[in-house]
Amino acid sequence: MKAQKSVTAGSLESSDVLITITPLAEARVEYVIDSIVIKQFGARIRQVTEEMAIASNISAARIHVQDRGALECTLRARLETALERSAAC
Amino acid sequence: MSEAGFGFEERELRTSPELAERAALLASRGLTIPEGEGLVLGLYQSERLVATGALVRNVLQGIAVDAGFEGEGAAAAIVSSLIKRAIERNIEQLFLFTTNEEAPRFESLGFSLIAGVPRGAALLEWGSEGIARYLDELRGVARGKPRRAGAVVVNCNPFTRGHRTLIEYAAAHSPWLYVLVVEEDRSLFPFEVRLRLIREGTADLPNVTVIAGGPYIISSATFPTYFIRPDREEAARKAVRMHAALDLVTFRTRIAQALGVARRFVGTEPFCDTTSVYNATMKAVLPATEAPETDAWGLEPGIPPIEVVEIPRFEIDGEAVSASKVRDLIREGRFSEVERLVPPTTWAWLSGPEATSVLEKIRHSDSRH
Repeated sequence: MKAQKSVTAGSLESSDVLITITPLAEARVEYVIDSIVIKQFGARIRQVTEEMAIASNISAARIHVQDRGALECTLRARLETALERSAAC
Repeated sequence: MSEAGFGFEERELRTSPELAERAALLASRGLTIPEGEGLVLGLYQSERLVATGALVRNVLQGIAVDAGFEGEGAAAAIVSSLIKRAIERNIEQLFLFTTNEEAPRFESLGFSLIAGVPRGAALLEWGSEGIARYLDELRGVARGKPRRAGAVVVNCNPFTRGHRTLIEYAAAHSPWLYVLVVEEDRSLFPFEVRLRLIREGTADLPNVTVIAGGPYIISSATFPTYFIRPDREEAARKAVRMHAALDLVTFRTRIAQALGVARRFVGTEPFCDTTSVYNATMKAVLPATEAPETDAWGLEPGIPPIEVVEIPRFEIDGEAVSASKVRDLIREGRFSEVERLVPPTTWAWLSGPEATSVLEKIRHSDSRH
């Protein structure tokens, strides 16, 4: 499902994560991961993000994750919300 | 009203009492009210305004947190909310001007520093199409062209014989010339038209490339001044100096490097205070190669210097030929007097059907731009 519009979920507050999904012209998915703990958790954040994006069938999207030290369950919750908002027409 | 985070209530500020409370909070942090219409948000705790911020087009402005609430996530909350509102409006790239000392606070919230001047202003950005991509584009344009090129930065509202003279001179004295056009569309002539008239008016010059300046050529129309303390009459000059320094450091450290520019050409404007302050700053920032000058501008040692070449304003009958003169004549209904001030390509467009709506707008405007 192509990303139709720009959406966000979450926030930049401590222990939260801000997800921004914006449409891309090309039919691919681009991941941009920023984290205040990028060295320790960057790879894991990317893995979870890719896993959920693939499962949602999203395409033509740029998924920007700005992590502020969120627990994995928080990241998953925010991603789920953002992906659902992105798919809603 | 909605929850922005733990303990904070978020509201859009619209009423006079709300905006007055906002003005007081800004003042308590040494800020004045940002200009420009936009969305103003406030975070409240127990009916008290503790943080505020505004979104004016794609620029975040006037972000302030009550001194008693620092460190409680209010800054992150208000910036998040503004970003989310911007995304809702399909604005995917955001900018923020602040003091250089405040820049790290925003870097920790995901903003990237474009340039900063010690004890001066800083420009940061957030979002998808960033400076890396713009600089790649510039490097692409410069590929295969001579190094040590010249550059001219112009607005051309519209393109006059004065501009033509400057560009002609610069092109004759450079192996290649880049004409960078200010993109901020606050001018009466729309950007696309300005760009086109410059291209048409310089098409005969073989070593000239005209490029859109992008958001990194900071026009005075964009540069906000609300974070500059207004101390008496000096305020206006200080604002010009701060704007000039930031714009010139950005130009030298980012744009000139990508294009391989070693000289910048500029016209003198003996009767315009703003331009003479700007040009004076240019002569201090661009050629500096040694400490303490380089430190004062936050420049890395070893960054190539740029020579500044000032050429006298083109005059007809003792009067400078400027775009503002052309707009004044149009506004006063003295349209025929415009012809001798502009090249034939500009005159042809002004006389054509596409110009009608622009000319109408100018006649009814009292804008300086």
